[in-house]
Amino acid sequence: MQSFTRYLLATLLCGFSVVCVEAQCPARPDPGTVVQDPLSIDSVNGVLNAEFTMRHSVDSGGYNHYCINYETAKGEVEAPTLRLNQGDRLILDVKDRIESDDDSSGMAAMDMSGVPICGDSGTPTLSSTNVHFHGLNVPPICHQDDVLTTLIQPGKPAFQFNMQIPTNEPPGLYWYHPHVHGFTEFQVNGGAAGALIVEGMEKLRPEVDGLPERVFVLRQQYLVPWVPGPYQLTINYQVAAGPTFPDPIIQMKPNQKEFWRVANATIQDFMPLQVQFNGKPQQLELIALDGYPLDKPRFQDTILVPPAGRAEFIVRAPSQDNVATFMSNAYATGPTGNPDLQQELAKIQVSSDAEETQAKKTPDANSGSSVGPIKFTGLDEVKPTAVRNLYFSEEFGGTNGPIQFYITVDGQKQKVFEPNEKPAITTHVGAVEDWIVENRALETHAFHIHQIHFKMLEVDGKPVVDQDLRDTIEIPFWEGPGHPYHSVKMRMDFRDPTIAGTFVFHCHILLHEDMGMMHKILVLPK
Amino acid sequence: MRISLESWPSRVMALLLGACIVNGVAVGADQPHWVVTNDDVPPRVATSLSFFAIGMSGQLTLKNRVLLGTGGIAGGYFAANRVNVLDSGNAECVYASVAKTGDILGIVLKTLVVGGSATGSMQDTGASNGVGLAMNANYLYASFTDSNHIGTFSVLPGCKIKFVGDVSVKGLQGGFIDGMAIRGNIMVVTYGDGSIESFTISSGMPVSNGDEQNSTGSRTGNTYPSGVDITQDGHFAIFGDTSPFTIVEVSDISSGKLTPTVVFRLGNKMNSSDVLLSPDETLLYISNNQSGTITAAFFEKNEGKLTKGCVSHALKGFDSNWSYVASMAFNETTGTGGVVYIAEYGAPSSIGEVNVKSSGGKCTLTESSHSPVVDGNSPGLLSIGAFPPRPF
Repeated sequence: MQSFTRYLLATLLCGFSVVCVEAQCPARPDPGTVVQDPLSIDSVNGVLNAEFTMRHSVDSGGYNHYCINYETAKGEVEAPTLRLNQGDRLILDVKDRIESDDDSSGMAAMDMSGVPICGDSGTPTLSSTNVHFHGLNVPPICHQDDVLTTLIQPGKPAFQFNMQIPTNEPPGLYWYHPHVHGFTEFQVNGGAAGALIVEGMEKLRPEVDGLPERVFVLRQQYLVPWVPGPYQLTINYQVAAGPTFPDPIIQMKPNQKEFWRVANATIQDFMPLQVQFNGKPQQLELIALDGYPLDKPRFQDTILVPPAGRAEFIVRAPSQDNVATFMSNAYATGPTGNPDLQQELAKIQVSSDAEETQAKKTPDANSGSSVGPIKFTGLDEVKPTAVRNLYFSEEFGGTNGPIQFYITVDGQKQKVFEPNEKPAITTHVGAVEDWIVENRALETHAFHIHQIHFKMLEVDGKPVVDQDLRDTIEIPFWEGPGHPYHSVKMRMDFRDPTIAGTFVFHCHILLHEDMGMMHKILVLPK
Repeated sequence: MRISLESWPSRVMALLLGACIVNGVAVGADQPHWVVTNDDVPPRVATSLSFFAIGMSGQLTLKNRVLLGTGGIAGGYFAANRVNVLDSGNAECVYASVAKTGDILGIVLKTLVVGGSATGSMQDTGASNGVGLAMNANYLYASFTDSNHIGTFSVLPGCKIKFVGDVSVKGLQGGFIDGMAIRGNIMVVTYGDGSIESFTISSGMPVSNGDEQNSTGSRTGNTYPSGVDITQDGHFAIFGDTSPFTIVEVSDISSGKLTPTVVFRLGNKMNSSDVLLSPDETLLYISNNQSGTITAAFFEKNEGKLTKGCVSHALKGFDSNWSYVASMAFNETTGTGGVVYIAEYGAPSSIGEVNVKSSGGKCTLTESSHSPVVDGNSPGLLSIGAFPPRPF
């Protein structure tokens, strides 16, 4: 069945049907209230063992909620933050209890013939789910971080993810979200996403040592995600849609420094983040991007975080007399892109009486075990074994925006992703490759590859000053005739034998991913 | 699964309401020349066809509105034209599709009353991007752009139609059916993903000629055939590409099958999804959907070659009152067409009027002083037609 039909069906069946299911998801915070950190679940004695239940409901405004619930003594809470240390084991049981209109069972997503199944059999539908651990450098295999074959079906027994966080995993902020091809956008649009933190940042970046820490998960909700139009941003599930709604509130003590860990879990919003005092952007001390600590902190007043990206930075609160805001500025996505509008994410309320954030303080850098070398170090000294050229492109044939989305390895035929396709790229463990990804579309895209981080080398053919390790990067839109295509050059590190297997690279604008702007890469064992 | 939840009530409503004469102008025996718009009004409000009378100097005046029931979508594919005019023998009909319901209605031009309607099978839907139409005196073909089906309907007296059957189609890269044109026994379609295909329609239902292929231009990664027109003699299929440039591709189909396309880059205006040959086939008009302009290219019909001609200025109201241009129609059935009418997508929408002059290998496209004419009935106009239609 075609994608748009699928979406239309989804809309007809649930999008506008506020009575189609009873509320299964917890109530979300009222507008204008103090932003609360997500509940944290910490590993104990090297193991984090938890059970999640995926549910669905529709709120009074017609927004679909897809919630990843965790049972506590006070009831179910949504999308807790998972906190683990390097080398810890994550055991996560995930049950799918999405209840939808029965007719949705006919909403077949893709032809899965020939695709091995991990988990439950059956055809993927809007009610199917799975989990991708975005940014984690773990194996792409069943019960770990495999999105190609893992399927969790409604009403079935829990599916268990069981993986070890690598002992050299970079400390930082990661996130988890569903990744069933064809339906990812719907579920993430509904809020199905949470943070995952690998502890130990203070050992590599002592600047954060002892600071109060906050986790902000920024999400985006559309009434119908595939239709261009108004959307709402949320911060830890509180709607940030001023002036229609009162702003969320972040309380800080005057001049206090805090360590903010921000995940862009939106389905398509490129977010130039700022903290402004009296309308003036302040210097933020950037500590890590995409869960990878920087070699050294840098100060900048704007941090661009593409969809799926993360930024971790130190914020100093203003003195009591200032009006301060946490902002996402407008971002130009090109003639065929959805407009990303300026939005105040929260008002920063400064008071010496402000409650201490309920989130933990970063531990003492001298406590616990030390952190050894982390993955992907020394990449700039490695000679690449291959250079590949890829490009994004799309076809714009009507008023509903682009209708075909491609990511293509140069020289191959443009095609949309099919679950039973052969890998577009085959390489082997030990390879280090330079990829140049070009954007030939009139819309900005966000390149993401599973399982590894990549080192930024060049933008538009020019070396970058900050060769950061990323897992998601924006590639600006093509301005049209007479202008060159924008591009990024990245060093991809396939040396780790544990990532051998088949995984994907794609645009992290989730509509694009669902529509097939994605392909497989096979990393053969050595 | 059938999407259309409203098709039966809308059909009944359309039949009951028939014609709604908004200006009190009677439709007499002396048929005026019309530009007809498929107003594509989104659900909850009735959608309609609006009839604009063509004046002596080509200017348009809204005269009549025929309600079609509910179920428009105010948008969709540029190249899926949803209004088609039949002028064959005694049959003078306008056929129009309603996107959400999939209904296709025939309106009797003499009376402006709905003569009949039909829907495809349960699986046929174009609810998010429209149902395109192409027809001859015997059959009407409907491209259901969401379910990827081509429906075949037999044309009956009194502007009625009857569903015959449908075939499932798909682009080589999984694309959706987009543009569609017929001439003689051949149908040519585009899939929006760079691929094109032809069918034999000699027995009514389309049968693939087994020639599905990617266009030459699509290999560059930023140009894809979208709209299609076919020369009067059926020698060439001409594809307007959705592209950052003005790009047209031509395939020699004289063998009854598609051959590899030849690419013509005709300018730098953005998008060329709608193409229309002039009645004398000397000019190809190209709707630059995202630049708000019309390009005319000289067409050499024996060789199938195109050369650069002329480009209009951005039409009045572009980017302020409306945002895209789409399908085109003429006020004359001979020569270069005289005036090119073009759908301007906005809320409300409008129709641009562009005067054509062509001689000695040069041409001009000049918007008339009374252009555009507002189509207050349409919040998203993409499809227009003219009566009498181009002869082929």
